[in-house]
Amino acid sequence: MEQVLPGLDSVIHAQARLRVMVALSVLPPGDRVTFPRLQDLVGMTPGNLSTHLHKLEDASYIAITKAYQGRTPVTYVTLTRAGRQAFEDYTAALRELLAAANHEAHEEKL
Amino acid sequence: MHNGHPPDPPVGTTDPALASPGQTLALIKAQRRVIARNLYVDPALILGAWGLAWLVGGGAGYLAAHGWLATGVPIWLAGIISGVLFAAATLVSFGEPARRGRGVAGPSRRVQAVYGWSWPLAFAGVLALNLALDQQGLPAHLAPLLWTGTSLLAVGLLYLAGGMLWDSRLQYGLGLWVLVTGAAGVAAGYPGNFAVLSLAGGGGFLVAAAVARARHWQSERAA
Repeated sequence: MEQVLPGLDSVIHAQARLRVMVALSVLPPGDRVTFPRLQDLVGMTPGNLSTHLHKLEDASYIAITKAYQGRTPVTYVTLTRAGRQAFEDYTAALRELLAAANHEAHEEKL
Repeated sequence: MHNGHPPDPPVGTTDPALASPGQTLALIKAQRRVIARNLYVDPALILGAWGLAWLVGGGAGYLAAHGWLATGVPIWLAGIISGVLFAAATLVSFGEPARRGRGVAGPSRRVQAVYGWSWPLAFAGVLALNLALDQQGLPAHLAPLLWTGTSLLAVGLLYLAGGMLWDSRLQYGLGLWVLVTGAAGVAAGYPGNFAVLSLAGGGGFLVAAAVARARHWQSERAA
């Protein structure tokens, strides 16, 4: 029963990146989160998280900034405006697909 | 990948969790709930801690002042009980947002920090004002009324501010209630002011805590 979903953003449509996008979208707009806390929230290893963050950054969905707290470098991650929009479009597309599938199932019954 | 990670599976084919729109939406919903729970600053915890501190602290003050339990609750013990409970509530009030907001920075955290600092600043003002009045010969019998009255005024105004900042009718309503409680306490006179502080003040906070908890449960079930 495998189903390929057409019209979905392939940058977001992978479980690890989807989890990251959800986590960042829950934060109030403009807020940023440190790498370790984000790792904690999404439950991923640093290497894995880093790989997926770079893909999201390449798509300009997130911004990664480095700051200093005293002498310790801190990496912050934030959802960009484009990223928030892309995530909204992605969930809207999913809902449309779901509605279409339900509609089809309903038609078949009739 | 350059650091040895396997490439991603093709869209929607090998990850069973993302196989259908329904499953993907369910995953998003579940993940959103986990994250929201992790970041949620529990107002019921903070309001409950203050409710308890006021109820017990104010009650002990009243009993000690009234001499009902002259053998059981000396005034110094009432002072210690209140001090410990107020210190604990302060710790909870600053600790809970700090713990939940760990590693988060940005506009919402700045608002939280500025609001947090408003409390010690407001109480420094109350302290300065009351000590100055004391220096200038405030009659001793008015001192407890001045302290509870001005403290409640500051608390009430800060809850009004919190209600504005976070668009919270609950906080705003509690602020109003505390303002009324403060005025009523002064009107009641000493030591009735402690009873008002304990029952109306502490009770008000506990009711607000219960409302906050009930609302949160409701919204979690609806989410």
